[in-house]
Parts: sequence; structure tokens; C-alpha cells
Amino acid sequence: MPVPILKQGDKLIASLQSDLDDKDLMQLKDEIAEKVGRFKSRGVILDVSILDVLDSFATRTLRTIAETARLRGAETVIVGIQPDVAVAMVQLGLTLDGVLTALDFEEGMELLLATIEGSHHGGG
Amino acid sequence: MVAEETYVPIDRDGDIVSARQKARELATHVGFSGSDLTLIATAISEVARNIVVYADHGEIVLSAVQRAGQRGILVIARDEGPGIPDIERAMRDGFSTGRSLGLGLPGARRLMDEFEIVSEVGKGTTITMRKWTR
Amino acid sequence: MSNGPLLSDLERLQLNTHDIERRKAFVDFRPDDLSRIAAIKDLVVHNADRYGVTFFDHLAGIEEAAGLTRNRNLLEQAKRLKHEHLIAMVQGDYGREYMEQRVRLGVLYSRAGLDVRVFLGAFHVLMRAVGVDVMKRFAATPADGFESFISLKKIGFLDIGLIVDVLIAERERTINVQQDAIRELSTPVLQLRERLLILPIIGVIDSMRAKQLTDGMLGSIRDKRARIVVMDITGVAAVDSKVANHLIQAVAAARLMGANVIVTGVSADVAQSLVALGVDLRSIRTMNDLQGGLEEAERMLGYKVVYADGASPAFGRA
Repeated sequence: MPVPILKQGDKLIASLQSDLDDKDLMQLKDEIAEKVGRFKSRGVILDVSILDVLDSFATRTLRTIAETARLRGAETVIVGIQPDVAVAMVQLGLTLDGVLTALDFEEGMELLLATIEGSHHGGG
Repeated sequence: MVAEETYVPIDRDGDIVSARQKARELATHVGFSGSDLTLIATAISEVARNIVVYADHGEIVLSAVQRAGQRGILVIARDEGPGIPDIERAMRDGFSTGRSLGLGLPGARRLMDEFEIVSEVGKGTTITMRKWTR
Repeated sequence: MSNGPLLSDLERLQLNTHDIERRKAFVDFRPDDLSRIAAIKDLVVHNADRYGVTFFDHLAGIEEAAGLTRNRNLLEQAKRLKHEHLIAMVQGDYGREYMEQRVRLGVLYSRAGLDVRVFLGAFHVLMRAVGVDVMKRFAATPADGFESFISLKKIGFLDIGLIVDVLIAERERTINVQQDAIRELSTPVLQLRERLLILPIIGVIDSMRAKQLTDGMLGSIRDKRARIVVMDITGVAAVDSKVANHLIQAVAAARLMGANVIVTGVSADVAQSLVALGVDLRSIRTMNDLQGGLEEAERMLGYKVVYADGASPAFGRA
């Protein structure tokens, strides 16, 4: 089941609608990479609040999505990880080190803006 | 006392999602709390994934169990894959270094209350896990 | 108080066929008891109203039973159920339905806060009233009367066993609920200002408490939309590797939800033991005292743009 990816200015917003299997996740990764390149996006918000499980594969894939997007010039923020899911991930030893995370869409947008502007000003 | 067994064949990655959804259903029926449901589903996702990745094909058996008046869930994940040569190493906890080990087994053990693994090279692997309602 | 589904009460009491047979075995109930009970069936049915009155009049005189006797609604229900019980007691069918009926009454008593001892006393008074009538009826053949009464008492003990089990189970459930509430109260999460929470932790941290603390903190992060949590562990009794792991896990989980955690109250000793335990102190921000932690938090929240010198953003970098 494909994930809808919306373009909002120089940002992409992808909101998962249901539990995804491995193939769907890989497809999402490819689509985001493709769109970031095509639209020269500067930011991606990936909303995973629908997910009730984030296992090792899903976590790795999220990290890969963020890394790939960064290589193409876009910062990614993962939003909506639920408390129970966060606890399970941590107990499983899964981390999203190096990936920006925020509580929800609004927080994610603010963080993206701060991050993008920051890099714009500071040349970092 | 064992009631209801659910067999989930594990052949493709789509089955991983089925396995954790069925586990969630059974665990809800047993009476687990919301956060426990997530822990159980996550542990099953990991062991199911191992079957797909390393053994091509296997099965997960889910059942509701009782012991001393407490209700719980029993998960058996079996395959006839290559087996794990060094179980001790696979189970070693790399936890505090934050590094996630390939098999996710120590993690699955942390998520469940009871965890046993039997594996023989060339024969296959059977993982038995239980979690109890509080 | 129990509002949970009756089915789970029954399951908890394990009322399958096997257990029902065990309960009958406990009171030595035998097939020939059935005919002896049948012999006094009409007597009990005929006087059921009076026995019920005896039971509830006795309770009315006991202060500790006020929870039931002064609650008109519960009392009416109890009287009705009791009447049905008395009739059922002599019908000879003591299967699952019979047991369910007893459990229902037990749940009602529990809701009324009826004490086990008070219930037992009232039950005895009721059985004595029955016994008096039975002996009067069997004045010519007292041995038969006695036999019949004894058989009935076996069923009586069966009933008591069930009702007491229910009362105990409900009491345990209440205790658990209360314990949970106490634990929650003892670990408040305080909102200092927008986006900033303080979590002062006091006392011993075992795994159950750690889980509760973590769940509470994560829930507050979500509800209050916090970006920073200052977790103060000055009052934590002992920080060993288990406690350290709990802390690290809590911090990691918060980060996944976009919140940074500053752990304050980390004395030099604790810092040393954490390092000795192999804890990577870079994975958690620690400060010596709460004040320092709060200042750091405000500083972090005040940042809008932060990449200039390569420092990490104000919030959210996992």
C-alpha cells in the first residue's frame, strides 16, 4: 500500500496510513529519495504515529531514509513515535541516533524550520 | 491449561505483519495492557523476521496459557533453517553500547518474561517465549 | 470496585467443570446427599421469604454491614438474589449456572463493602433458622432430619467458599488499584513552563517503578508537548547498574518522542559509578544540581537558530 507523499513548498510530508510490510517500507524509501531529488526539497516530515510496532527493520529503514535524504540536501524529521513504541524500541536496543525526531507534525515543522534556517545562516 | 492455538506460517515478509497482528489479537483477548501488547507484537516481529531472513520458512504458534491463576501468552517460533552456531554470542547483550545486534534476540528476551532458545546447526531453531499479565 | 465483566471473574476463580467437582469434593458432597436435600426441598422453598428476612434483619443490626443495608438499591438486589439462592440451593442442580449465581451475589456484596466475617455470621444465622424448622418437621425421625440438614449444609459451605473467594479476589483487586494510585501520586511530573517538565524522583527504583516513571514521563511529554524534561535524581536511594539502565532507557525513549532529558542531581560519586558501570555519559546530559539543569533547559529552549558553531539544535536530535 503506497504512502501518500505531499509536497508543501520545499518540504515533503509523508504520513503513514497503516502498518507497512517490508516491501512497502522499501518503496517508501525509494519514493522519498526520488522526490527529494526531483523537487530539490529541503525537508521531509515522516509521520509514523499510526505504527504500533517499530521493529529493527523498520528502524533501520527510517534511518536510511533520513540518510539518503540528507545526502540529497534534505533534513528529515520522524514524528509521532508513540510512548509504548518508544519503550519497545529502546528495550530492543534500537536507536535513531543522528535522526531528528519530534512529537508530532507541528513540532516536526518547527524543528525543520529551525534546522533548515540554521544551516542556511550558519553555513554548517 | 492451554486454549486456542493459532498457527502463522512464516514465508515472506508480509507474514511478519500477520504474525504480530494475530499476536496482538490473542494478547488482547488474554487481557494484556496496551503497552504490553506493543512489547509482545515487537518481540514477535523480531523472531518472525529472523525466520524470514535466515531460514526462509518456518512457523509461529501462538496460544493463551494459564499458570497458577495467571493468564499469559505462549509464543513458539520454529524453523528448520541453518541454526545458530554460537547461541551464547547471539544472546549476548550489547545493550549499554546501544548497538543493535543482528538477530534481535537479546532484545526480544528483554521484552518478554520467559525466553528459551534451542538451536542446532543444520537442523533449525526453536524459540519459546512467554509473557504474563500482571 | 468491580465493574469488570463477570466472565473474567469466573475465569479468575477457575470455575470450569474440573474446579466445580473439586469444590464439591472439598465439602464431601455425594450422590446420596441429593435425595436428602430433596426431602426438605418444599420446606425451604415454602419458607424462603422468612429465611431471607432473618438474614437481612441480622445484617441490619450490624454496623459494619451498613454499606449494604443502607443502600436501598443494592439491598433490593441482594434480597432478590438471596431469595433465588435459597430456592436454587434445594433444587439439586449445582453446576456452572449455580456457581455463576453465587459469584454474582459475591460481587454485589463486594460492591457494598460487606466484610467476610459479617457475611459468615449472617449466613450462620440463616442456616440455624433452617435447621430449627427441619428438626421440627422431623421431630418423629430426628436422625433423618439431621442427615438432611447436614446435606444442605454441604451446599451451604460450597456457597460460602465461592462468595468468600469472590470477596477476597475483589479486595485484592482494590488493593492493586490503590497501590498503583499511590505509586502515581508519589512521582508527579511538574510543568514548569511551556515545553519544560520537571520529574523529581525520590526513593528506590525497582523495575516496576521505573516502568511507571517512564510511562508517566512519556505520557506527559505527549500531553504537555514538552521538549525538555529535567529529571532530578537527587532523592534516588541508590544508583546501581540496573537503575542506570532504567534511566538510560527512559532518556532514549523520550528522545524518540522529540524530547531531550537533562538528568540533574548526579553527584560526583554517582557520576563516577555510572562511568565505572560503562555508562556512556554522553548519551545523557547530566548536571550536578537542579538549578543548573533548569538553567541549561531554559538556555536550550531559548535557542532558535543553532547551527552556526556546529552545536546541536535546541531540541529533538535523537
